Amino acid sequence: MRAPDGRLAEHWITVGSPILLLAAWELASATGLLREAFFPRPSTIVMHLRQLAADGTLWGHTAITLVRIGWAFALAAVLGVGVGLAMGLWRRLRDGLDPVFAVIYPIPSILFLPLVSFLVPPGEIALVVTTAVTSFFLIAFTTTHGVHQIDHLVVEAAFHYGARGWRLFATVLLPGALPFIFTGLRLGLGFALIVVVAVEIVAASRGLGALLWLSWQILKVEDMYATFFVIAILGAGLSYGLAALRARLLPWVQDVAAP
Amino acid sequence: MPTRAPKVLVNEVSVTFESHGRSVVALDRISLHAHAGEFLCVVGPSGSGKSTLLRVLAGLLRQSAGDVRIEADRPGAPLTAMVFQEHALLPWRTVRDNVTFGLENRGVGRAEREARAREMLAMVGLTRFAQHYPHQLSGGMKQRVGIARALANDPEVLLMDEPLAALDAQTRTIMQEELLRIWATLGKTVVYVTHSLEEALLLGDRIVLLTARPGRVSQVYAVDLGRPRGLEVRGAPAYGALLEKIWFQLREEVVRAMTEDRGGEHA
Repeated sequence: MRAPDGRLAEHWITVGSPILLLAAWELASATGLLREAFFPRPSTIVMHLRQLAADGTLWGHTAITLVRIGWAFALAAVLGVGVGLAMGLWRRLRDGLDPVFAVIYPIPSILFLPLVSFLVPPGEIALVVTTAVTSFFLIAFTTTHGVHQIDHLVVEAAFHYGARGWRLFATVLLPGALPFIFTGLRLGLGFALIVVVAVEIVAASRGLGALLWLSWQILKVEDMYATFFVIAILGAGLSYGLAALRARLLPWVQDVAAP
Repeated sequence: MPTRAPKVLVNEVSVTFESHGRSVVALDRISLHAHAGEFLCVVGPSGSGKSTLLRVLAGLLRQSAGDVRIEADRPGAPLTAMVFQEHALLPWRTVRDNVTFGLENRGVGRAEREARAREMLAMVGLTRFAQHYPHQLSGGMKQRVGIARALANDPEVLLMDEPLAALDAQTRTIMQEELLRIWATLGKTVVYVTHSLEEALLLGDRIVLLTARPGRVSQVYAVDLGRPRGLEVRGAPAYGALLEKIWFQLREEVVRAMTEDRGGEHA
């Protein structure tokens, strides 16, 4: 009966490690090992979080950030999957776009803000488009790879059994690439959150990034940490949400189908 | 006994591949035939182009010269359906939807597709697994699905490319008996590629032995071991004699291919 014990221990580590970390922090701040002015106790942060939620400040900023992520992610997902599939299917297109993507992709996303502002009306739209850029590349890359990694033998078998053109795409190439598309979407969503906060710090007066920056500037350190916390929870929630969606939609993928 | 009408005619077929600016002859003027309802086994050393021959028959590869004819006597039925070595099932489709895949592509209606799938899954003993995905099945079960998928299309000729090679010995033996039973029920013309002489002797009406690099027809053997045939045939004196005779010939081919491989490495 060693296996269940081992699994329990593993579970304990997952749940226990953040709790242990928070407890250590609490203790260090309380005893003065960490300066409370910069590292307020977690219990104090939670109190401020409650306050921010109670007076409605937090909800307004969170809603604005979520709407921006929603638009940016939708834009990146639609274009990324579309371009990624096209690049996976047509070699010529891939050969042409690969070098362009290779050059643009590593540029820090926030630097696109001025560029984008020249192209689209500055303000909300520029914010959303900038947030979408890096996610788009991530989703396009993984989608292209998803098409390429499909077992050649499976494609040949499908061809042998009469799948051509649209049917070959819809019954073989698209489903074959889907696990990778989901991975790309998950990465893209995470990046959208990272970038939207950065963009809000630089160029917005509302949203979680703006709240974070404002709190820091007026030295409301507790509020800053509270916002950190909300962003972290949001990131984890979105990521796990997509993973759960994948498990539901792709029951044939081995690692998630296993009980 | 199978009727004598020819079903598959391969006439002087050659296949040449271009690789790194050099052309490699995979098949060199192969001629063979299979009668309607015949179980024809093709054996040969690695590199004899057995799989290439099947791919030409399946229409997946175009021969460089010569012609292939498959007599069609039922309009609308596909000429061939192939059982692939590594099963090549679509992982995102359930067992049932894998079996109906070919019918779906040909526009057969849902009711007929499902009836056909039920029939085929019952034949290969997988009725209970219709809603499973391939990754939930064992190797032997996956290959049963591969066989059901091919048979569901009711092809003129069934092509099998070492379908049991990836299975363990016990599963393979059971599958061989299954194949004999299914073939006896349906009376299909089968072209069956295998590495194993024992398998060819157990299953085949005739055995075509190919040479290696380039693939040519070395010998054709009639397997006069009677039908219906089961595993007990392995104890028959005629079985041993024929096995030895073919093995003697095949051995020469294998040794020759191995020697040439080594020569090639030094060159």
